[in-house]
Amino acid sequence: MRQPLLRLSQITKSFGAVRALKGVSFELHPGEVHALLGENGAGKSTLIKVITGAHQPDGGTLEIGGTTVSNLTPTRARKLGIACIYQQPALFPDLSVSENIGLRLEGGAFFAKVHWKQRRKNADALLARIGAALDPETPVRSLSMPEQQLVEIACALGSGAKTVIMDEPTASLTQVEQELLFGVVRDLRASGAGVVYISHRLEEIFALADRVTVLRDGQSISTRAVRSELGAMELTEEELISLMVGREVASIYPHRGGSPGETVLELENVCCAAGGIANISLAVRAGEILGLAGLVGAGRTELARVLFGITPADSGTIRLLGRNVQVRSPQQAVSLGIGYVPEDRRRHGVILPMPIAENMSMAVHPKLFPGKWLRFEAERALGLRFIEELGIKAYGPEAPGGSLSGGNQQKVSLARWLATEPRLLILDDPTQGVDVGAKSEIHRIIRDLAAKGLAVLMISSDLPEVLGMSDRIAVMRGGRLVETFEGSTATAQRVMSAALRPS
Amino acid sequence: MKRYFRELSVAAALVLLLLLLALFAPHFYELQPLLSRLTAQIPTLVLTLGIALVMLTRQIDISVGSQFGLCAVLAGLVSAGGHGLPVSLAAALGAGAFMGALNGCLVAWMRLPSIVVTLATMVTWAEVLRLFQQGKFVNLAPGVQWFGLSQLGGQLTLLGVGGALVALAAYLLKNTSGGRHVYAVGSDAEAARLSGINPSAVTFGVFVLMGTLAGLAAVLNLVQSPQVDPKCGTGLELKAIAAAVVGGVAVNGGRGSLWGALAGLLLLATINPALTFLHVEAYWEKAIQGLVILLAVIADGIRSRRNLN
Amino acid sequence: MASLSPSLKKNVLRHESLLLLVLLLEFAFLCLYARNFGTPDNLSNVVRHSAEIGLLALAMMPVILTGGIDLSVGSLMGLCAVLFGVLTHDYHLATLPAAAVTLAAGLFAGGFNAFLITALRLPPLIVTLGTYSLFRGLAEAITQGTKTYRAFDPAFLSLGETRWFGVPLQAWILTAAAASFYLLVHRSTFGRSFRAIGFSPEGARYAGLSVQSRTALPYLLTGLVAALAALLFTARLRQARADAGTGYELCAITAVVLGGTSIFGGVGTLPGTLAGIAAIAVLTNGIGRVPAVFKAGIGGELASLLTGALLLVALAGPELARVLSTRSAKISPSPKTL
Repeated sequence: MRQPLLRLSQITKSFGAVRALKGVSFELHPGEVHALLGENGAGKSTLIKVITGAHQPDGGTLEIGGTTVSNLTPTRARKLGIACIYQQPALFPDLSVSENIGLRLEGGAFFAKVHWKQRRKNADALLARIGAALDPETPVRSLSMPEQQLVEIACALGSGAKTVIMDEPTASLTQVEQELLFGVVRDLRASGAGVVYISHRLEEIFALADRVTVLRDGQSISTRAVRSELGAMELTEEELISLMVGREVASIYPHRGGSPGETVLELENVCCAAGGIANISLAVRAGEILGLAGLVGAGRTELARVLFGITPADSGTIRLLGRNVQVRSPQQAVSLGIGYVPEDRRRHGVILPMPIAENMSMAVHPKLFPGKWLRFEAERALGLRFIEELGIKAYGPEAPGGSLSGGNQQKVSLARWLATEPRLLILDDPTQGVDVGAKSEIHRIIRDLAAKGLAVLMISSDLPEVLGMSDRIAVMRGGRLVETFEGSTATAQRVMSAALRPS
Repeated sequence: MKRYFRELSVAAALVLLLLLLALFAPHFYELQPLLSRLTAQIPTLVLTLGIALVMLTRQIDISVGSQFGLCAVLAGLVSAGGHGLPVSLAAALGAGAFMGALNGCLVAWMRLPSIVVTLATMVTWAEVLRLFQQGKFVNLAPGVQWFGLSQLGGQLTLLGVGGALVALAAYLLKNTSGGRHVYAVGSDAEAARLSGINPSAVTFGVFVLMGTLAGLAAVLNLVQSPQVDPKCGTGLELKAIAAAVVGGVAVNGGRGSLWGALAGLLLLATINPALTFLHVEAYWEKAIQGLVILLAVIADGIRSRRNLN
Repeated sequence: MASLSPSLKKNVLRHESLLLLVLLLEFAFLCLYARNFGTPDNLSNVVRHSAEIGLLALAMMPVILTGGIDLSVGSLMGLCAVLFGVLTHDYHLATLPAAAVTLAAGLFAGGFNAFLITALRLPPLIVTLGTYSLFRGLAEAITQGTKTYRAFDPAFLSLGETRWFGVPLQAWILTAAAASFYLLVHRSTFGRSFRAIGFSPEGARYAGLSVQSRTALPYLLTGLVAALAALLFTARLRQARADAGTGYELCAITAVVLGGTSIFGGVGTLPGTLAGIAAIAVLTNGIGRVPAVFKAGIGGELASLLTGALLLVALAGPELARVLSTRSAKISPSPKTL
C-alpha cells in the first residue's frame, strides 16, 4: 500500500470547555479525492485548521507524508505541501491579484527582493491554467466573490501542494466556475495529489469524491468508498444523510399548503443600477412561497436588497397590498410589513455577542417599547415565546447569539422578523450552511408560515430546496427575471436550463 | 496613473501653491530662509515616514510627539554630559526603540487597540519628561549644532539625510518581502497569517521602527539649535498623522505610499509660510491644518464610495 | 443588568468590581496619608475640579459604545469658552443668551462631526482628529493666541462657587447628567441601538435600526456637553481662554476605558464610567496632598503619569490575566503526544 499523504489518528482539540474534536481519525492517499462531511459544528473547520497548522491539537498524532509532525505552523504546513482554499477567500483586498498570489507562494525572507515581473508572469500562467480571465494587476477589492475564489484556487495550484483542502469551494461559485473547479480537482487527482473536499452539496460529493469520511459531534463516524473498484456506486444519499444525522430523515420536504390568497407584493419594471438589476416584474400572493432561483450573481440578493430598502430602486413600481409604495430604507421596509432574513447570517442576520432575545426584539423596538423605554420583561417573554415556537436550542433568552449553532442562529434571525408580524417575508438562502436536521425544521417553519397566510419570497441556491418548497418558481439571470414556473410544472432540468441559457 | 491618483493630486496642489507663491510672494524663494524652512521639516518628515508605516499596518501611534521629546532631552543631556554626537544618537535611538517596543508589545502581542495604548503612553512619557525636567531647557555642548559644520553645511547634510531616508524607505517598502508584508498585514491580518506571515511580528517591528525613527528625528531636530526645548515634541504627532493622511495613506491600512506622505508633509508645511506671505495671520495655522485633514479624508471618502458603485 | 447575558455579566462585573476595589483602596490610602484629603471641604473640591472632565466622560461613553471616538471635545471646550467670551465682551450679550448661543454652537459643532461621520461615512478617529485641530485653531485665531476674557457677570462667576444644601453646584449637574446618561444608555432603545451598532453596524442596519441617526446622536451630545463644560470651566476659573480644556479628551477617554467600556464598542456600563471618573478625580486631587509629593511640588505631573499608567494597567490587566491563565491551563492537563 502506498504511503498516505496525511494520517490523523485520534486527534482531540478543546476550546475552553468546548470539546470541538473528540477523536478524529482520517487518511488521505495520493490521487484521491476524499470528501469530509458532517453537520455544522461537527468539527470540520477545526479539523482543517489542525491540518493547516492554524490550531494545535491537544492530543492524537498527525502524520504528514509518513512522518509524525508536532507544533505545525501555517508556514511549516505549507512547506510540507499542504494548501487550503478557504470558504471565505483569505486575500488582501488592497493588493493586486499577482501580489496576492506572490505573497501566498513566496513567503520570502524579510529582506528578500521582490521580483515584480516574475510575479506577474507566474500569476498569468496560473490564472491561464484554471481558465480564469482576470487581469493580475487589478486590486482584489474590485473582484467579485467568485473571482476571488478563483484567485484562491490559483494560489493553491501554484504552491504545487500534494495535499489540497477545499472548504465548501462552490458555495459562491456560478455553474461555469464550478465546472472550472471540478476540472481543477480532477487534474489534481490525476497528477497524484490528494484533495480533501468539504461540501454540503451531496451531488458534488457523488460527482467528485472517491471516499467519504463522516464527522459527527467531533468524532469520525465512518469512512466509506463512494464507488467500488469497478465504478459502481456503493453509497446512497439516504445512507450518507443518516450517517451524518445519526438517524433516518423521514420526509425531506413538507407538503404544500392550500390555495393562495390576495396579492401582497407586486413589482412592475423595477430597476436598480447599483444592484445591477433591471425590469423585474413579479407578484407574490398571501399564503404562497415564491422560489427565486438562479446562479450566484444573477441578481437575486440584489432584488431582496432593493425590496428591503438597502439599495433603493431607481425606477419601476412596487405595490404592497395594492398600494404603490417607495422603500427607501430598511426602517421603511419594516414599517411596511416587509421582513428580510439575510444571506450572511453571521454578519447581517444576528448580532452574535448580543443575547438572542435582544436580537429578536431589534426590529420591533417601537412596538415592544413604546415611549422608547426598554421593558425587559416583555423582551424576555418575546424571547421565550420564539424559543418555544421555533424550537431554538439555547439555554435561555439571554444566551448570546454566537453561542448557538448555525441552524439555531438562523431561527433567531427568522424570529426577529416574525416578531414584526410581516405581510411579506424575504428569505435569502435560509438553509445555506445549516445542518440537515435544522434544515428540515426550517423548511417546516416556512411552510407553516405560508399556510398561515404569509407571502414568502424564498431565494435559494439549493435546487432541490427550490423545487421542494416553492408554489411557484421565478428564475433570474444576469439581473433580469427570465422565466416563471408553476410549482407542478417545474423540473430541475427546466429551472437549471432557464438559469443557464445564454441570452 | 489611476493607482497614484491621490499622490499626484497632492503633488499638483503643492505645485499650484508654490506657483502662487512665486507669483505673489517671490521672497519665499530666497535661499537661506527657504533652506531653513525645509530643514525644520526634516524631523517631522522622519516621524511621518514612521507614522505612514504604522498606518499601513492599520494601527496608529499618537505617542510619537512624547517619544520625540523624551529622546531629544535624553540626547541633549548625554551631549551636555560631554559625550559626542554618536553617543547622543545611540542614546536617542535606544530610548526610542525601547518606547516603540513597549507600544509594540501591548498592541501586537496583547492585541490592545493602538489608539488607546498610545494615548496612554503619550500621557505617560510626556509626564515622565515633565516630572524629570520640570520644563528646563538643555544647553548643548558646542560642536553639536549643525554637526559641527557651517550652518549651510549642516543644512545640506540634513537635507541629504532626509532625502536618502525617504528614498531608501520607499524602495525597501516597495521591493522587499518585508515591505510587502507591511501592506499585507494592514490589508488583512488573518489572510496574512494564513500566508505564513506573522502579523504580530510585523506590527511589533513597525512600532519599534517608529520609536527608533522618533529617536532619529529628535537628533535631527537637536542639531538645528543650541538648546533643547523639552516641549519640542508637543503636537508633532498631529502634524505627522496629518501629513500621512493628506498624502493618501489610508487610515484603515494597506493603502498609501511614502512618496505620498512626503508630498502631504510638504503641502502642509507650505501652507503656513504661504499664509504669512499672503498676509493671513499665522494664528490660523492650526485651524487650516484641521481643515486640510478634513478635506483629505472627505476626498478619500467620496472616492472610495464612487469606486464601490 | 437584567438584559445582560451571563458571560457578559460576569466579565463586566469582574472589571467593574475590580475597579471599585482599586477606588476604595485609593481612597483609604489617601485618607490615611494625604494631608486634609478626607475633609468635606476637600471632597467638594474634588467634585468641583473634576466636573468638566466628568461631564465629558459621561458624554464620551455612548460614543465609544457605538464603536466611535471623539477626540475633539477638549478643543471644542476651548472654542466654546472663547465664543462665550466674545459674545459677552465684544457683542455685549447678557449671560443667559450668550450661554444659550454657546450651547447651540456646541451642538452645532457636534452635529458637524456627526454629519461627517454618518452622512459621509468617514472614520471617527480621523474626522475628530481633524476637528480637534480645527476647533482649537479657530479658538486661537479668534483670540489671536493670547487674548483672555475676564470681565464676566458676577452672578455667572458665582456659579463656580455656588452650593445647594451644602453641595457644590457641579455635583448636582454631574448627578443629573449621570442619571440622564444612565437612562439613555441602559434603559432606552437608544442605548440598545448604540450597543448593537458598536457590535456590528451592518447587523444593526439589517435589523431595521436607523443606524445613521442613532450613530449621530452621541456626537451631538458630546458637542452639547462640551459647551456646558466650557461654561462651568469659565465660571470656575473666572476667565475664558483658547487653551481651555487642553488634553481633556484624553482624560475623558481614559475614564471611560478605565470604567470598562470596550474601545471596540458594544460592551460597557455607565456606572463603570462613573467609577472611572471618580478614580481619576480622587487621584488627581489626593496625590498632591501626600506629604512627600507635596514637598517636591510634582502633584500635577505625578497624577497625570499615574492616570496614564492606570489606563495601561486597565487595558493590559485583563489580557495578561487571560494569557497567564491559559498558559497555566496548558501546562497542567493530560500528557500529550505532541
